[in-house]
Amino acid sequence: MESPRSTPNRVVLTLVCIVLAVLLLADFASVQANRIVPGQGLGLFKALGSVWASGLIAGLLAIAALAWRPNPLRYRLMLALVVLLLCQLPLSLAWFIHLHIADDQPYARAGIAAGGWTLLFIGSLLLIECRQRMQPAPFWWRAAPLGLVLISAWLIYSGDLAALSLLREYSSRRSEFWQALAGHLSLVGGALLGSLIIGLLLAWLTLRVPRLQRPIFGLLNFFQTIPSLALFGLLIAPLSYLANKYPVLQGLGIHGIGWAPAIIALVAYSLLPVVRNTSVALSGVAPAVIESAHGMGMSSWQVLRQVRVPLALPVIIEGIRITTIQAIGLVAVAALIGASGFGSFIFQGLGQGAMDLVLLGALPTIFLALLADALFSALARHCQPGVRA
Amino acid sequence: MRRLLAMLRNGWVPLMWLLLLLVAVFSMDQFEGFFRQIEPDARAVIYQRSSFAQLLGKHLLIVGAASLVSVIVGVAAGILATRRWGRDFLPLVSQVASIGQTFPPVAVLALAVPLLGFGSLPTIFALVLYGLLPVLRNTLAGLQDVSPTVIEAARGIGMSPLQSLFKVELPLASVVILAGIRTSVTVAIATAAIGSTIGASTLGDPVIAGLVNGNTAYVLQGAILIGLLAVLIDSLFECVQQWFAVRQGRAQ
Repeated sequence: MESPRSTPNRVVLTLVCIVLAVLLLADFASVQANRIVPGQGLGLFKALGSVWASGLIAGLLAIAALAWRPNPLRYRLMLALVVLLLCQLPLSLAWFIHLHIADDQPYARAGIAAGGWTLLFIGSLLLIECRQRMQPAPFWWRAAPLGLVLISAWLIYSGDLAALSLLREYSSRRSEFWQALAGHLSLVGGALLGSLIIGLLLAWLTLRVPRLQRPIFGLLNFFQTIPSLALFGLLIAPLSYLANKYPVLQGLGIHGIGWAPAIIALVAYSLLPVVRNTSVALSGVAPAVIESAHGMGMSSWQVLRQVRVPLALPVIIEGIRITTIQAIGLVAVAALIGASGFGSFIFQGLGQGAMDLVLLGALPTIFLALLADALFSALARHCQPGVRA
Repeated sequence: MRRLLAMLRNGWVPLMWLLLLLVAVFSMDQFEGFFRQIEPDARAVIYQRSSFAQLLGKHLLIVGAASLVSVIVGVAAGILATRRWGRDFLPLVSQVASIGQTFPPVAVLALAVPLLGFGSLPTIFALVLYGLLPVLRNTLAGLQDVSPTVIEAARGIGMSPLQSLFKVELPLASVVILAGIRTSVTVAIATAAIGSTIGASTLGDPVIAGLVNGNTAYVLQGAILIGLLAVLIDSLFECVQQWFAVRQGRAQ
């Protein structure tokens, strides 16, 4: 780290070498005559035509050249190229479809192959690397994820990507997809709400009665240890017993399978991060700060509201972030016990051996998790005391 | 002698779970009456397709193989990224290790299928990929926490970089690394159970079979075994971690 400007950025060089190798050796995308026949893979030059493919390769080489003797200006250029690289991805897919799938082939579908996925993956790594090397990173690095999403959305809306296998799969189950999204979000939201209410109460209890700390954390830790599939499974029998015994519960929609066991398990899992972070954050505020707040004549309630909570808020939000990400993944598993969500596409697809359907469930799940991560990280940063102007 | 007593005192918890697990694995038939009450109309109430011991063995094999690879690769990558010639990669590697953990394990599992097909192999692959991250992250954190003055001192008494790594830095980081391995194995046990849906034979089999056929007794049997296994392994880690902490406290 003596003088990072003069030495080559080996990370960028390595990443570019990897992506070039994959692009030149593996298939970029594939075409399928219909859902059942195996797809035919196409290399980069065949898939995109020589002009687009050469442009792509030239861009990657330019990134490598800039990384050879990087300085702040070259990092800026490099970042701009990486942003372009990521934003052209959906466009290149649309171009690929335009070249290889005629409009009169309603069953033909295009898939993204190893090359395309690698380009997306390595492009994201390049973005992270450039961002890390430029402190502070220029605000416009966000153009890459934003552009990727917006351009994809536009191309989906305009129908240029309609032949993409993922979208063919979507168009045949449009209403199910939005139901799955609604189900997924409401389960995550319900679990979050439940765990916040119970969790904050428990955290308050641990602060009030320190003797209870050990048993409470012991129990919550124990819940976290139980694998999700096991906890879901363990809840089915008692819940269906209760539902059979008390028909009132059935009227409320509580059955052995479905949302009831899912939400109970989700709340049980979500409690630990919430309680731990809240309790640690509230007790972690320096005694001197609280002392001086008392000295200024604040009551205990005022101290809690005006000093302790604002100082602890970022850590509490971090707990909520962990909870949310965890819940998004667990709701997908809960599809096995009949809860609605994107998991149902994953497991249906696995059952039918239809990988596009699996993707239709897995990709939105990942997207939701990344989105929640970005949102709560931004919120935590915003709540950092002293950051607000 | 006192240490032995302390170990026994800590050791009875995993021993109890082990006993419970063995009872559950080998004498599930004894509880047929109980399971019959849950599923009065089912043809069979005890999962028959494979013995529980076999499923437990396969589950452990998958988790063990995946965890072994995760630990070796994760620790090695963590060491490489904190050496002088690998330090360029440190920011990227640590970012990837933390961003990667936002990916839901089920999604990773599902995405392994298009790559590798159905069976145990894609399950192990997904477990390795996912289990790597906590190990890597904690190895980085543990090694970076070692204060430079300590490393300086190690050099000062004539240790080579390798000696300093193995005799000073890794032992100091071991508690944190172990915590990462614990997280990794916990997730692996849970995800391996879901691996039944992609054709791996694990303790998740009775649960999935029960869910598909509407046989709650099967579900319960699988769930009990998975739960006991997870709690047993976790309590073992608890013991080892305490032992490490005690050893380290003595060394300081």
